[in-house]
Amino acid sequence: MKSLHPLLSFPYFVAVLALTMLIRNPVATLGSLLGAFCYWLMTTNGKEKRADLGFYIPLAVLITVANPVFSHNGRTPLFFLNDNAFTLESLLYGAFNAALIVSVLLWSKAYSKTVTSDKFLYLFSGILPKTALILSVALRYLPMLRKEARRLKDAQKTVGLYSKGSVTDNFLSSCKIYYALIGRTLENAVGTAESMRARGWGKAKRVPCARYRFHTPDKVLAPVLLFLFVVVAVGAGTGSLTFSFYPAPTDPLPNGFSAFAVAAFWLLSFFPALYETEVNLQWRLLQSKISASATPQRTKTR
Amino acid sequence: MTKRTVLSCLFFLLLIPLTAVLGLTVFRDVKWVVWSLMAAVLSIVPFIVSFEKREHNLTLLVLIAAMVALSVGGRILFYILPGFKPITAMVILTALYFGPEAGYMTGSLAALLSNFYFGQGPWTPFQMAAWGLIGFFAGLLHARLQKNTPLCCAYGAVVGVLYSLILNFQHTVGVRGTFVWDEYVAVTVASLGFTAVYAVSNVVFLLLLKKPVGRILERVTLKYGLAPTPEKEK
Repeated sequence: MKSLHPLLSFPYFVAVLALTMLIRNPVATLGSLLGAFCYWLMTTNGKEKRADLGFYIPLAVLITVANPVFSHNGRTPLFFLNDNAFTLESLLYGAFNAALIVSVLLWSKAYSKTVTSDKFLYLFSGILPKTALILSVALRYLPMLRKEARRLKDAQKTVGLYSKGSVTDNFLSSCKIYYALIGRTLENAVGTAESMRARGWGKAKRVPCARYRFHTPDKVLAPVLLFLFVVVAVGAGTGSLTFSFYPAPTDPLPNGFSAFAVAAFWLLSFFPALYETEVNLQWRLLQSKISASATPQRTKTR
Repeated sequence: MTKRTVLSCLFFLLLIPLTAVLGLTVFRDVKWVVWSLMAAVLSIVPFIVSFEKREHNLTLLVLIAAMVALSVGGRILFYILPGFKPITAMVILTALYFGPEAGYMTGSLAALLSNFYFGQGPWTPFQMAAWGLIGFFAGLLHARLQKNTPLCCAYGAVVGVLYSLILNFQHTVGVRGTFVWDEYVAVTVASLGFTAVYAVSNVVFLLLLKKPVGRILERVTLKYGLAPTPEKEK
């Protein structure tokens, strides 16, 4: 996914996020959740996985259980709590909401991992040059601030300041560092501006330094993804994906077109995982070819 | 009227009714999601477009970038205390000395940039709009707030609460797909602790930072001619 052109990956993630939030059909949402989950499995390491699960699972359980406690709609009461029915439909609706939230969170994470700040800036520096300039300068300052903060912290430690390790001590130490950083960064900013002006900033159109090319896979995939998106959007727009939990769950596939729309949404959701698998496979195949031949041969690549 | 003005007029004349109509027809079940997200996004666009259109001093742009970086850096530096962050205070201070436009840009870009580190999501436009407006109004009120520290702290406390209320709205709509008043109240009550932390931290950081940072920003404004209505680049 990372090798795709930002003009493809940015709209893709925005579209999938929007569709996930807007389509409230359990079969469709399940596809979105599983697709995002597979991509999450491929792109996170063990530590990150544990941290994420520790957050998503309690959240999902909380949302699932909270709904039937507060909402007593539905036909099938499971048991009664303070004379209020705890209904099956309400529980299902809670589970559906939990799945929806977790998939929105997973897609947001996938977006953050794939469309990094440099790609975002590449997309917007043409349309919004000043905003992009502010963002890119600020992005450059952040690692510098981190480095400076660490240096100042070390200096504090060496002199033996704020060594108790209590919360107030920590706060006071951070405040002192923050003061120093503010002064230094603002001074630096004025210098940066002078230097940019001296080098003729604003005399010609800015050219982004990262050059992304629209490669063959981008050209092939763009119309396919667009087609899938249109099918899902038409399905959602014509009511083929309408679903209701109350008073009893309705048919998730109400008409002939529903199956197509759901299938398109599943394909669209699984696209990052499928693409990643394809790239990994290709990597393996090419690797084995290299190791098999003693002399490096030119292998045909895309 | 230039071509750009016509385009921006068309943009709003078409998009706002389109959003309303789409919410009422196609996305009836999720009209709150559509409306709230589009409201947040559409409220950001005019600020950014007007900022792009006007000519600005390059020093001001880089100083805004530095304030954005410092706001986000503060969020990282004070990581030990959850919710206790200097972003709002920094946005208000920028707005007081560089004007409402600069305040809006600092607030919204600080939200956008910090989410590159803490994770983007449907909440990004809401945070951008909320922090942007906090800066914008601080900039409009600069004549009162600059001199009067208690009033400035009061402003910080109030916007801390308002920020929390806006984000609670996003949370309620995001989780349920629709807006139910009772749930909004429940979420607000449940997050009262965080709301209090936001308000208190804004006051504390304004008290701590207003004098030293204000002095620096005032000096820079004077030296480089960065009054709230920026002059043309020479």
